[in-house]
Amino acid sequence: MRMWAQSHLCQKPQRVTSVLAAAFALIFLILGASQSASALPAFARKYGLRCSACHESWPMLNYFGQKFKDNGYQLMNDRDAPIWQNPGYWPVTFRIVPIWHRVSTGKVAVDGGDGQVEQRITSSGFDLSGLDFHTGGTLGKNISFYVLPSSDATASFHFETVMARLDNVLGSTWLNVKLGKFELDNLLSEKRILTLTANGGIYQLYHFMPQGDGNIFGQMGANQLGVEVMGHSYNDRTRYSASLLSSNNGSVGLPYGANSYSGFFAASQAFDAGKLGVQRLGFYAMLGEAPTTWLTNGGAPIGGSGTGNKGFSREGFVGQFYFGQHFDVQVVTQHGSDSAWFGQGYGDYIDGYASNPTATCASATGPHVCNNTPDTVLAAGSRAPTWNGVLIEPHYVYSPQLIFLARYETIKMSQQSNGPQSANPSRSDLGNITTYTVGYRYNPFMTSRAGFAWHNEFNLFHQVGTSSLSNTNINTSEILTGFDFDF
Amino acid sequence: MNSLRPMRFTGAILFTAILGLVLAPGFAARAPAQDAPDVGPTPRLVMKPMESHIGNITGHAAAAKSDYRRYCAGCHGDLGDANGENAVWLDPKPRDFTIASFKCRSTLTGTLPTDEDLYNTIGRGLTNSNMPIWNTFTRQQRADLVAYIKIFSPRWDKEKAGDPIKVPAEPPVSIESIAHGKALFTKLECWKCHGPAGKGDGPSAGTLTDSKDNPIRPYNFALGKDDSRFKCGNTNQDIYKIFMTGVDGTPMPSFADVIQPNDAWDLVHFLRTLQINRHGKENEVLSAAHGVIPPYVDKNPAPAAPADNKSPGGGH
Amino acid sequence: MRTKQMLLALLTLLVCSSLMFAGTVSGKVTYTGTPAKQKPIDMSKEPSCAKQHATPVTVETVVTGPNNALENVVVYVSSGAPDDGQVPSQAVTFEQKGCQYLPHVLAMHVNQELKIVNSDQTSHNIHPLAKVNREWNKSQPPGTPPISEKYDKPEFISVKCNVHPWMHGEFAVLNTNHYDLSKGGGDFKLPNLPPGKYTITAWHEDYGTQTADVTITGNETKDVNFTFKAKAY
Repeated sequence: MRMWAQSHLCQKPQRVTSVLAAAFALIFLILGASQSASALPAFARKYGLRCSACHESWPMLNYFGQKFKDNGYQLMNDRDAPIWQNPGYWPVTFRIVPIWHRVSTGKVAVDGGDGQVEQRITSSGFDLSGLDFHTGGTLGKNISFYVLPSSDATASFHFETVMARLDNVLGSTWLNVKLGKFELDNLLSEKRILTLTANGGIYQLYHFMPQGDGNIFGQMGANQLGVEVMGHSYNDRTRYSASLLSSNNGSVGLPYGANSYSGFFAASQAFDAGKLGVQRLGFYAMLGEAPTTWLTNGGAPIGGSGTGNKGFSREGFVGQFYFGQHFDVQVVTQHGSDSAWFGQGYGDYIDGYASNPTATCASATGPHVCNNTPDTVLAAGSRAPTWNGVLIEPHYVYSPQLIFLARYETIKMSQQSNGPQSANPSRSDLGNITTYTVGYRYNPFMTSRAGFAWHNEFNLFHQVGTSSLSNTNINTSEILTGFDFDF
Repeated sequence: MNSLRPMRFTGAILFTAILGLVLAPGFAARAPAQDAPDVGPTPRLVMKPMESHIGNITGHAAAAKSDYRRYCAGCHGDLGDANGENAVWLDPKPRDFTIASFKCRSTLTGTLPTDEDLYNTIGRGLTNSNMPIWNTFTRQQRADLVAYIKIFSPRWDKEKAGDPIKVPAEPPVSIESIAHGKALFTKLECWKCHGPAGKGDGPSAGTLTDSKDNPIRPYNFALGKDDSRFKCGNTNQDIYKIFMTGVDGTPMPSFADVIQPNDAWDLVHFLRTLQINRHGKENEVLSAAHGVIPPYVDKNPAPAAPADNKSPGGGH
Repeated sequence: MRTKQMLLALLTLLVCSSLMFAGTVSGKVTYTGTPAKQKPIDMSKEPSCAKQHATPVTVETVVTGPNNALENVVVYVSSGAPDDGQVPSQAVTFEQKGCQYLPHVLAMHVNQELKIVNSDQTSHNIHPLAKVNREWNKSQPPGTPPISEKYDKPEFISVKCNVHPWMHGEFAVLNTNHYDLSKGGGDFKLPNLPPGKYTITAWHEDYGTQTADVTITGNETKDVNFTFKAKAY
């Protein structure tokens, strides 16, 4: 039920002003359906541990849960193989979230008396997330798997996660190999996010695209297809991972580049800081190439024909800071950069064409189909869009049953794709995002059989200069209450 | 979701307030953690100001209250009585802290373990059981948990931990030492449970029960490879301590009264050769002797009873 | 040290003899119904023990005598006895012989020395499953000196040898010296009871406990009989 697998559907390369409106329209359609955490009562049933043993607050992992995952869903006590399980054990967990929410979106283009005007739309009602079928565990000692068929709220399914992993290869915790579609090794996992609103229920850093950008392939928050090699010390204090991924944002069927890959690297080190707890510091980098040039048939791009790879990168630091047993702060920074070609909207041609065959991108010779054909020259003043962002998420864990959380996220452009020399320079802060989220989750009971959280959250989202008509700032807010449960 | 109908914000607030009111009672009446239905009402736990001392770290019971609930209570129970909601599914069963009998000790059988013994057990986990390796905790967290489990048994109020047994320096491995170890393995009838080749298939293996009458298996030495662990550690010193102090609560007795310290090292060396898939100095010495353990010749025969007529005949 | 002990013994004697009127509780322990057939023990896995037994051996959970007599019942004064604190100086002995425990039920005073002897040609482990007292578990190969232990709290403790799963015995750790074990005829006798009100308890490892209240007024013998209901299985 991840919405982001399809999110690029709404991203049109050129019509900057319509992007957000379309995005919000889509968000409205699959409201609240942005959860895909991996909190598995199935695991708790298998091992007898309470949810809280692995989750700081379900679904967010704690350090022990991270170690369990890094070991291939194994406790490493020679009781992990399925032969040790009760034959009646069924490693499946369902998760769905019924909610009530109220969404207020600013500056939506609506038909008025004199053509279109911008207006705030506020609506509220009961709603539902999609449904996740998590199934995961071990196929044998040191062979683990995870399969997650996931639906959106209309029960339209896709494969969110499908992977098998060889754990502790050669008897070493330093070598584990995973193949399939999986979440990138983000220490602060978006799949385990503690928030549920449309804008607060994702990490903006993990999905950010500059205005008009055509690079749909660099989303750290989207599950990707590829192979991952990861390793860790026995106590998981030190961990690293390196993945080779298809640059297709997790879409199946090789729909994009003929030969385009990206890589994701992460490493971190944890320290025992006495009464404060275990602190962890790390970095990550996502470096990749994605196609901008497509073969066409009758004007329509041909899937899998993409060449003309252009580069992109995302890198930053991650910190998990604990101040005793009750308070912690999670921090992620990001420096991101896309090729100038992406900045002008090249890249997402197939999906862009599908939704708007007449869309054009800028070029030195004027509007051009968003396909980097041999005659294409970038418009003067086109530059690689770059940005910096930070995400700060403090948690107050009152007890294993009650967590209060807040998040502040901001992303600021440091270089716009339409630079000062371009014919139509962008304002320097165009597309900057600031968002605040506060909420709490209360688990009225705590067992190892099911998870149930009463969830309350408020999110405020602010983006600069991207309203569809007036190019002014957009403010969107959402308040949400719901029952988040799995069993 | 297609009709985006405006709604007054006050209405939303009102609704949230009502919802809050409906749900508030459950929130306010924070019951103690829910145990399995058959456990019945939970008596209140009496906190005690227990401490633990590991190196220069002092653990305090009060500081581990939340960690115990979070990580331990699912099996060991909120009252430490091994009656957590999942205990019924586990094999072997979790420790019952109200009895204060512990498997992994450096102290004699029947005595309380040292704080360090418990601390090490938490960080090491217990192989072939569901007790995880809690090496993700800080040292302080582990020390606090050691203090916390003392609140469950009155023994910790009155008794002191036993004195750790003295483990002399390990002599070099030799084929003679292995041969003597094998003779001890026969004489002390380790093989009755652990089997002639240490595969956990001795004649009494199927009859074993722990102190709560739950079936329990003897350790199978042959299964492990280089990463093999014993219940209470994986060094030669740990093996020494395991059979000298016994594994309390299980059929594994203490041999402290009946094995001389150096003889114990010989037994350790022999036990290592039962781990046929493990690379180690003991197996190197054994393969240097072409895999044959010579018969042990007692140079100073004691007036002890003749050896049992049934030989384990370890197949090497 | 020796003189001190003697003095103490003398004092005890004096105190006892000054209670000129020493009563006795005696009686018989019987059962009703049909006890379960005691299962035979197969000692073939331990030939050194098997050859010590000319006749087949059965478990000793329920041992009966003629006229429905029930043996191995610990009868003791569970309340009212004045000498709760006196620990006898001589040890009680628990012997492992022919892969059986002799006696099958061993009563002792709290803190009294308990000697455990292995007379067999095989290793035993002695594993008393104490719950109130400290639980320990020790190996005793042939030819090793007796194990010396004591228990500091009253408790009925099952004893087993994990090497020889059929071996089973019981320790009755009591807070009194007024106890007896019913013998072949089911008879027991608790002498030297000064006048007073007593609770007499009879404990059987399988059939549980029964109590009776008696009052001793002088130099008399009170008859108390216990009848346990046999379990069919």
